[in-house]
Amino acid sequence: MGRGVMLMSGGIDSPVALYYLLRQGHEAVAVHMDNRPFTDDSPLEKVLDHLTILRERFRQPIPLYVVPHGSTQVTLMRSTDRHVGCILCRRFMWRSAERIAVRENATFLITGEALGQVASQTLSNMRSATQAVELPIVRPLVGLDKQEIEAVAKEIGTYAISTRPGVCCQAVPDRPATRSRLLSILEEEARVDADAILEDCVRRAIVM
Amino acid sequence: MTRADPRPGAPVAVRYRTLRLCSNGGGYEAVPERRASLDLRGVRQRLEGAGLSVIDARVMLIVQLPPEVTISQGGRFLVKTRDPERAAEAFDRLAGLLGLARAPTTPPGD
Repeated sequence: MGRGVMLMSGGIDSPVALYYLLRQGHEAVAVHMDNRPFTDDSPLEKVLDHLTILRERFRQPIPLYVVPHGSTQVTLMRSTDRHVGCILCRRFMWRSAERIAVRENATFLITGEALGQVASQTLSNMRSATQAVELPIVRPLVGLDKQEIEAVAKEIGTYAISTRPGVCCQAVPDRPATRSRLLSILEEEARVDADAILEDCVRRAIVM
Repeated sequence: MTRADPRPGAPVAVRYRTLRLCSNGGGYEAVPERRASLDLRGVRQRLEGAGLSVIDARVMLIVQLPPEVTISQGGRFLVKTRDPERAAEAFDRLAGLLGLARAPTTPPGD
């Protein structure tokens, strides 16, 4: 069985995606991109509680890397087109996860994304975001609809945690791009020093 | 409802009706009665002049009172606390510094 790095947001989907991977016997390392001050403490608290449930259920340590991401958001908001902010943000998330995968001897990345669940979750946006990394990406929930995901979340005990009150990400633009062109995304990203940002964030990550 | 008090040189002249729980229930938000466009540079200068710490993300400011308050270019204030009294206190403090109409006129959370 393999070892993968799971991006965990504190939402409904990511613990369910991780549950499916663990159920198949894979090992996992969790990564949470800490969006404060664009959120509050609640996403991190939720991820910690999700992991408590999954660690106990599968008797796996599942280390959690908390990567500071707020300063990246500030840089992106100051220097790039707001409409593609979510795609650029996700490119940094993927890159951070990939760096941690290399450190942790993991060979793939995992996400709770499902196609078309939100306006910005389109194929072209996914393509633009994931072009930033080389490791394969596993999406265990891609064929499920929201009701099915919620049913599993309730069954494994993560739903009540995910739906606790919290502040939504304030960095999300009013009208996020839904059909991105990779070339224009790369041009926008070239306005910032991506390598330096990434290096700094991963260096400041803490393991819990 | 109190009218705005746009003092000479004030960066904003916007009226607010209520302070209400935000959609995910993690904080309280004050939204302008009408669409607004804040001069965030002026807002930042004024708040920093009052000794507050402000993160400038170009299209929004994050003021670290505490509690933390996000001020968007469109005039929305999001106070990151689930305590309605603390939220009202934080908004009133910023509103006073910026010469905004005072909120809330109805109890938070209604």
